[in-house]
Amino acid sequence: MKLLDITKEIGTATYGYPFEPYEVPEGFRGKPEYTYDKCIGCAACAIACPPNAINVTYDKNEDKLKWEFDCGRCIFCGRCEEVCPTNAIELSQEYEMAVKFNKNDLLTKGYLNTVKCRICNKPFTTERLVNYTLERMKAAGMDINDQIIQNLHTCPECKKEKAVEKFVKTSRFGGVK
Amino acid sequence: MSKKPTVIMPNDIIDANSVEEKLKLLKDIKRSFNVFRVDCGSCNGCEIEIFAAITPMWDPERFGFKLVASPRHADILLCTGPLTRQMYYPLLRAYKATPDPKVVIAVGACGCTGGIFHDSYCVWSGIDSTIPVDVWVPGCPPHPASIVYGLATGLGILDQKLKETVNETDDGFPPIIDKPVLNTILFERDVYMESKRLMGYLFGKKLYQKFITAVKQSKDPFDIIITKTAVLKEIEKEEDSRYAECMTILFNTVYLSFVKTEKTVFPCELIKPGENNG
Repeated sequence: MKLLDITKEIGTATYGYPFEPYEVPEGFRGKPEYTYDKCIGCAACAIACPPNAINVTYDKNEDKLKWEFDCGRCIFCGRCEEVCPTNAIELSQEYEMAVKFNKNDLLTKGYLNTVKCRICNKPFTTERLVNYTLERMKAAGMDINDQIIQNLHTCPECKKEKAVEKFVKTSRFGGVK
Repeated sequence: MSKKPTVIMPNDIIDANSVEEKLKLLKDIKRSFNVFRVDCGSCNGCEIEIFAAITPMWDPERFGFKLVASPRHADILLCTGPLTRQMYYPLLRAYKATPDPKVVIAVGACGCTGGIFHDSYCVWSGIDSTIPVDVWVPGCPPHPASIVYGLATGLGILDQKLKETVNETDDGFPPIIDKPVLNTILFERDVYMESKRLMGYLFGKKLYQKFITAVKQSKDPFDIIITKTAVLKEIEKEEDSRYAECMTILFNTVYLSFVKTEKTVFPCELIKPGENNG
């Protein structure tokens, strides 16, 4: 009888979970939520992701950048949230992630327009990233001239070649005197 | 590296495990199902969470969950781990020993796709690479609530929430940049970097928001004394002393370096440690 009294005092410890909602504590790292409108396709999250749950690839058929997240491979470390410059990906409190019969339900995808290099005509980055960089430069108080815009639309390889060309021309070992 | 052995599943097992048969089974065992847990090379994180999920705190026996010691007694196989080469045949044996029709649940990131070990040489990356899986429960490790949700989804008590989302309409417009407080976004950038350095990425983001709103409260952000009063007001309101102290540091270092042209800092411009009453 004493035991019954104790249980009466303490009450029910069991959560009513599947029949009642359960709230996880603050700071719980749940499913990463992807905001497509904020994403600029910089691929920082894909580089930071330890298990390669986030993949950023170039889709040849659609000529677009493909951002893909596989929730089944995610280890919920929060690195993507840490590196994202625009807060496009943020860890939510969502823990109800199980799917049945169809594994593709775990996927989140986003397609972004690409920009072609003005010199070699190969796609190298997204339209949003170029526009975002331009906006940031304006907000930082820089003068935007044609040289800067030309640089923004040049791929890293072409930039490298340009720099080498310039160096050869100006150095005293170069052909031009 | 040896090739993965190809196992041809007997036709009678495939026929006995169609979706219709499984749904019929789930209808029959609604309030009493026996679960056999197979550890396919897991790190034991998922095991700990499964054991947490069968404690009285969660009590899955309310809807019939019961762990059994042999696959011959089981209706449901709960598989964890990335499926190492050594566990390949034991898993198949357990699968074949379970009476038909059987439901297979893959628990954890490793069980779903191989997780962090997905490209390792010694694993087959996921339970579904070998045996057909019905329910996937992501998480590394999954919260007990996630496991209970996975079981409840498999049994049809709750509905599935996740759906495949594909975003395709790109207009090329970048996200909107907020109007800078001090004419240049370099101030925001420095405050963000400093607050990340002080409090880490998670709390640093909150600190950044708090500090920028405090500076915005000031009528003239370029006037040091007016801004100081505004920031002090916000610091006094702040309940968490960590944020209060870090806001003081941000004001004394980053803000003053952006507003002042000459380097001498007068004492009246700094926020002193005792000035915020706590």
